[in-house]
Amino acid sequence: MLKMHNINKVFRTEVVETHALRDFSLHVAEGEFVTVTGPSGCGKTTFLNIAGLLETASSGQYLLDGEDVSALNDFQRAKMRNQKIGFIFQSFNLMPDLNLFDNVDVPLRYRGVKAAERKDRIERALDAVGLLSRKKHLPAQLSGGQQQRVAIARALVGEPRFLLADEPTGNLDSNTAEGVMELLHSINSQGTTIIMVTHDAVLASRSARNIQILDGRIIDDRRAHQKAA
Amino acid sequence: MEFGPILRALLRNKLGVMLIALQIAFTMTVTVNAVYIIDQRSERMARPSGLDEANIFHLSSVGYGNNFNESVASTEDLALIKAIPGVVDVTVMNAIPVSGSGSSTGVGIEPDRPETSVQTAMYTSDENVLNALGLNLVSGRAFSTNDVRRGGRDMERSHSVAILTTALAERIYPGEGMQAVGRTIHSPGGRTMEIIGLVERLQTPWPESSFIEQSMLIPEVVDDGSTLYIVRTVPGERDRIMTEVEELLAAQGHERILRNNRAFEETRENSYRLDSVMATILYVVIGTLMFITAMGIVGLAVFSINRRRKQIGTRRALGATRPDILRYFLLENLLISGSGVVLGAVLTLAFNMFLVQTFDMPRIDWFYAPVGMLLLIILGQLASLAPAAKASGIAPALATRSV
Ligand SMILES: Nc1ncnc2c1ncn2[C@@H]1O[C@H](COP(=O)(O)OP(=O)(O)OP(=O)(O)O)[C@@H](O)[C@H]1O
Ligand SMILES: [Mg+2]
Repeated sequence: MLKMHNINKVFRTEVVETHALRDFSLHVAEGEFVTVTGPSGCGKTTFLNIAGLLETASSGQYLLDGEDVSALNDFQRAKMRNQKIGFIFQSFNLMPDLNLFDNVDVPLRYRGVKAAERKDRIERALDAVGLLSRKKHLPAQLSGGQQQRVAIARALVGEPRFLLADEPTGNLDSNTAEGVMELLHSINSQGTTIIMVTHDAVLASRSARNIQILDGRIIDDRRAHQKAA
Repeated sequence: MEFGPILRALLRNKLGVMLIALQIAFTMTVTVNAVYIIDQRSERMARPSGLDEANIFHLSSVGYGNNFNESVASTEDLALIKAIPGVVDVTVMNAIPVSGSGSSTGVGIEPDRPETSVQTAMYTSDENVLNALGLNLVSGRAFSTNDVRRGGRDMERSHSVAILTTALAERIYPGEGMQAVGRTIHSPGGRTMEIIGLVERLQTPWPESSFIEQSMLIPEVVDDGSTLYIVRTVPGERDRIMTEVEELLAAQGHERILRNNRAFEETRENSYRLDSVMATILYVVIGTLMFITAMGIVGLAVFSINRRRKQIGTRRALGATRPDILRYFLLENLLISGSGVVLGAVLTLAFNMFLVQTFDMPRIDWFYAPVGMLLLIILGQLASLAPAAKASGIAPALATRSV
């Protein structure tokens, strides 16, 4: 599913050069649920952005779904994000001016799906996160946990093979976070590959695979043999 | 693409959008009506005077000494001018068409019935007037030497012949103006005139007058101390001959001064100066308004894009291409401008109705409003192009990087 080989990412500003990732190599197989942990500034978001085609690596090779993405241009990368990848963000990133229905609609619009099919899919996605009855509401009328569930519905509506989440529970209290995690696990159990960055050691310990990053390098890659309860 | 969501999102930020839409509507109203006024004015300015405008100039001779004999001097002057190679003809006249000053009278089919009379400019001149002005005689005959009466201010003038413009004849004899030759008309003070000819066109001295095409020529040369010469030259010789005539006349040593030696075109231009100044002012107003509106559109677009940087990054992350983002903001502007110009069309027509009623102007042509709408929509799209292009350059990583 995801193959990174010797990925380097260097941010250059006028004063400093930051090596956000150094010789970063990783394989993630289809259907895995991988958590990524590490101290602030170690490169977690950078890894996720490169994995999700939001940024390009400075060097190294990245195969997504068997395709070498380093050769893709901006337009092709956008299309690939739209079709293969779902994103979940720490601060939900919903469009405040759009109601839930229109929010979930965003990725489908860019895919050019027909209106009737869009409606069908959006309602199923909202139903899956338990918010169909609120489809006309604005994000601001929802709690944080509900907003994140809308964001998950938006990430799932295009049925991506690959879900990337950057601290999806970072802005939620532990009970709400629990609900979101359950949702993610059930999505994973239906076959979607998930990579999730988190600060929460407990959440990380419960995933089947946890990667620890320090200073742009993987320092630990632990696989649990069975999910903790 | 996504009209519905863009519209719904816009409706949640009404104030800024409404202000810009209003500004667009206002700009369109002012622009369309100003252009309409300019068009009306230019149409007026473009009306032909009936003269061979490019090849005519005029010159006045005003006597001052006791020994000045106007009729002797003018006979001499006319002969001298006419002898200059390149001069087509020369005449004396009481007033210059379209110059702003002259005399007018009323004429009618019945004597002393002012309520039935029609207003007309009254030009007095000699037998050379048609050729010297380049007028087009369409019926009857020109003045003959015998027709021309000469004398002082108090000479007998109760009966004479006259040449009318077809417009004047048509006003006096509605529907049968072209058959006016041979008929007699009357003007106040018991004066009667027999119509001997019709000219196609000869405008009055007053460009603002409501009867600008109604003029009458009387064969009469009055000695009143000053003589106005109108000279017509062959094409291209006017300016040279103007200088030559003035020098030649000055050398005659009569006790008079020569003044107002000017091309007819210049005189005409002076008369319409206010119109052209007004047109310039209106163009400046239009330009300024357009500029301010364009800046307003740019300002709103930049503001709303900066406010939504993270949203744009998120859209990019979710699969929007750069063209998608560009299109989004152009479409957003299209909706704003679209509502602006629809309101603008209503305001434009309302304002025009006000102009029509207040200033007695003809109603605006149907195509002005649609052209104005199109113009402002193009303006809006152009103004939002740069901000939209900038928005499309926002990195998808902003979705995760910014707070
Ligand atoms: N656009 C950028 N320009 C320069 N440096 C950057 C940029 N983005 C990230 N960095 C640097 O790269 C390093 C890795 O950043 P990254 O965001 O991946 O860390 P992180 O592990 O996600 O941290 P956190 O847990 O605080 O989110 C940091 O030192 C950061 O300052
Ligand atoms: Mg981070």
